[in-house]
Amino acid sequence: MMGSRAIAWRKLRFRFDWTLTLAMLAMVALGLVNLWSALQDRGPHLFSKQISLLALGLGVFLAVAALDYRAISRIGYVLYGIGTFLLVAVLLFGRVVGGARRWFDLGPIHLQPSELMKVLIIVALGKYLNESSAQEGRSFRHVAIPVGIVSLPVLMIARQPDLGTAFMIFLIFITVMLMARLRLKTLGAIMGLALVSASPIWRYGLHEYQRKRVEALLNPASADAWQSRQALNAIGSGRFMGKGFLQATQIRIRRLPALWTDFPFAVWAEEWGFVGCLIVLAGYLVLILWILKIAGEARDRFGATVCVGVAAMLFWHVAVNVGMVIGVLPVVGVTLPLISYGGSSVLTIMAALGLVMNVSIRRFAY
Amino acid sequence: MEITGQDAELPEIRRRSRLFALFAVLIFVLIACRLFYLQVIEGDAFYKLTSDSIIRTVTKPAVRGEIRDRKNRVLARMRPSANVYVLPRELVAESFERVRTALDLAPDEAADLWERVQAERRAPVNEKERERPLSVREDISRNAQAILEEAGADLPGVRLEHAIRRDYPFGAAAAHVLGYMNEISGEELRAKKQENYRAGDLVGRVGIERQLEGYLRGRTGFQKVVVDRRGIPKTNIRELVEGAIKQDPIPGNNVFLTMDMDLQRISERALRNANAGAAVVVDVSTGRILAAVSKPGFDPNEMSGHLSSEAQARILADRFHPLRDKVLTETYFPGSTFKVVTALAALEDKLISPDEHAKCHGYFEIGRRRFKCTKTHGVVALYDAIVQSCNVYFYELGARPGMLDRLARFGTDMGLGAPTGLGLNGEEAGFIATEEWYREQKRLNPKNEGFQVGHALNAAIGQETRVTLLQMAMLYAAIANGGKLWLPQLVERIEAPSGQILEDFPPRVRRELSVTADNLALVRQALVGVVNESKGTAYKARPDDDLEVAGKTGTAQVLRHMGRRGEPITSYEQNDHAWFAGFAPAGNPRIAFAVLVEHGGHGGEVAAPVAMEIAHGYFESVAPADRAAPRVGLPRRRSLRAPVPAPEPAAPLEPTP
Repeated sequence: MMGSRAIAWRKLRFRFDWTLTLAMLAMVALGLVNLWSALQDRGPHLFSKQISLLALGLGVFLAVAALDYRAISRIGYVLYGIGTFLLVAVLLFGRVVGGARRWFDLGPIHLQPSELMKVLIIVALGKYLNESSAQEGRSFRHVAIPVGIVSLPVLMIARQPDLGTAFMIFLIFITVMLMARLRLKTLGAIMGLALVSASPIWRYGLHEYQRKRVEALLNPASADAWQSRQALNAIGSGRFMGKGFLQATQIRIRRLPALWTDFPFAVWAEEWGFVGCLIVLAGYLVLILWILKIAGEARDRFGATVCVGVAAMLFWHVAVNVGMVIGVLPVVGVTLPLISYGGSSVLTIMAALGLVMNVSIRRFAY
Repeated sequence: MEITGQDAELPEIRRRSRLFALFAVLIFVLIACRLFYLQVIEGDAFYKLTSDSIIRTVTKPAVRGEIRDRKNRVLARMRPSANVYVLPRELVAESFERVRTALDLAPDEAADLWERVQAERRAPVNEKERERPLSVREDISRNAQAILEEAGADLPGVRLEHAIRRDYPFGAAAAHVLGYMNEISGEELRAKKQENYRAGDLVGRVGIERQLEGYLRGRTGFQKVVVDRRGIPKTNIRELVEGAIKQDPIPGNNVFLTMDMDLQRISERALRNANAGAAVVVDVSTGRILAAVSKPGFDPNEMSGHLSSEAQARILADRFHPLRDKVLTETYFPGSTFKVVTALAALEDKLISPDEHAKCHGYFEIGRRRFKCTKTHGVVALYDAIVQSCNVYFYELGARPGMLDRLARFGTDMGLGAPTGLGLNGEEAGFIATEEWYREQKRLNPKNEGFQVGHALNAAIGQETRVTLLQMAMLYAAIANGGKLWLPQLVERIEAPSGQILEDFPPRVRRELSVTADNLALVRQALVGVVNESKGTAYKARPDDDLEVAGKTGTAQVLRHMGRRGEPITSYEQNDHAWFAGFAPAGNPRIAFAVLVEHGGHGGEVAAPVAMEIAHGYFESVAPADRAAPRVGLPRRRSLRAPVPAPEPAAPLEPTP
């Protein structure tokens, strides 16, 4: 056997997944166009920062793709451990921004370990499912360890507090477990539990601002719903064809907080209209469906699970972020993958897509 | 190599991931439906709602409270006026031209305005309120108002706003007490963020306007309107505006002063011959300030709003410092008016008896230094020393060991060396020297000579301690009323616009002087003598009717080597300050006063007539009922007329080092 690294690079070259890569780059390009517009009032330095982060992300993408994913699988729990450690550390030493302790201040970038954790949990879940076979479908007995894997970081993330990310991980987890033959009865029981616990979480688990956001959704005339009303005004005023590049006056004039991290879709919708929105949605759909196709063709459960996990991550991010911007979900800090500004988000998504590429180029035995 | 495709679970995952794909497509379709609804079905409505909508916040200024005097005369009020503003982003060249001609703007003024308009246009769009109007001119003439009003809608970007303006009907009278108002600075705006100030607001600058800003101001209201580019209001304002849409203004509260404008005018008139000076009159039985003049003054009407640069330059260049409140913020040597403190200190500590004599040869020698008296007084007792203002008598007291500290102790007790507590205009504390202070100076600077007995001699005749006019008036009031040192007051009460009393300020005693009634009576008798004894320093200024005034003249030397602000010192500035402090009527004191004419010369010749005119005016026209009082008259001369049986005057002692 020749040097495994050389083989890895050869595979990357010959079996390069162009569909995945081009779909990803298309969304990145689109995101940059949108960011330029969203940052009109903020000067160019955030834009160039995003460019360098994307370049770094591309490097991560290729690096993750080049390693044999079985090697990644072998150290899956170690990676998970490192991620958990980072979460503990951020709770202790993290930078407080807006009342939440989510970030490490690493000079030019702010690292958000909870973002990274999404991928690490997917890897850990994949490793566990790969190693525990369950022909009869999974019930509570088989779910105990995955629940443990997920709940530890989720609890810590919820403490930061960052309920948006915690909730995203929960959604990814459910999706992955469903794919992994979770019994319907068990699923029903979990859902039941979630419903039962909804009321106490609502009353004791949420912060005032979080409750307000949900209330704003339920009561659009309330003062707290101002933010999402402005987003709706902007999106609606984009009409069918949009107002054109750099013309998103409504959204900018009202200075929505977190415009370029949480509300870039509103800018896009105002400038490019319904048609533009369909293009973005189509782009994401192509990406997600392609990843699910790779999942179906993966040669082992680890690969399949990881792909399903990444697809779920993309899907839920898009659905929740867009849902929030179009006023059907409460305002939560969930990014729009590849389009939102933000280093941790970019690096996480790129690493995740790198994993998918990894599975993709190794799906056929030879 | 692993065997692949053998995992029975893989096909299941494939099957389920197809279901997931289906689910994802479904959700995306739902999202697309929602977007279709928002952008295509409701799109036009949203577009109309939001396109070019400009949120304008129209402020509704609160009416600032009035300031009135004790007889309910209005000293400061609001009156209607019209101001002109431009909206930089909407202003067109023609309307700018019309404004320029209507207001007759000077070329540089117009150029400056145009520059500000351009700067505002370049600035990034501000969040919710889109535009800040720029003020062109306030309080425009009726003529200009008519022209602009007629042009009305033909002047895009120009706004004529009817405003109300601060007006001071008494003009320059009591300007330092009332204060004035002008526009809040950017720095203050940042510092007072919580207090709801907006750019362009006027704030009280000095005097009551500043001290009671919080009471007078009221709260600005606002009304938000949303208009499109043509200025047509939109109806569904709730959709576009965050928070409250309107708020009614709350008018400010009215302040009632203790001042009496009749007396104020009398006092200002009495100072007509002084270039610079001050006078303050207080009620002996309450400590309330009835009049306070600081000359030269300024017209708060002129200072309020936008002061022209020439006017500003003129005021700042005036060598008599019109903006300085000489009643409160300037300190002076009290000169001989301080001798009452020295006398009371000596009497209280039993250094002298009233009958003890000293002999004045016209000077007092200590070591090789000679301290001059005003003239040769011969043999004088305490009474004569005060009446004739003999320095030698007080030099001898000053030479007693520990006298500087004793004077400091009694001076402090009588309210010197500390602000009176009026809290207006950054009131000065004055200064009291002690031996310790001199030792400290020496320690800090070895070249300093440290404490010398000469300092105590100077202190005894009022050339050491520095006082404010108000401190002296309060001190003389305390001597007059038998020892009550009042807290001076300017504000009697504050009323809400409804008439409800918000704050009421009853008279407050600051301290009872720690001197006995007998000693006070001795000093009072001597002060009557100053005005009524033929040898008295203020005898020539005495009122020509039966009003009996008591008081003390003072002629305070100025520090000749010190020009203010390092300017070369003029001969005018080398003249002594003329003082008179006293009370009236002597038999039943009602008012106390302190008068100072800067560089006026001799107190008896310059300041005393001013004080007499004030006292006379007060009992003639302001409060004739208070005039009635038993006559005090002059004491029977026992000791002086008889040949002096020569009880040796207390030998001057060398101070212990």
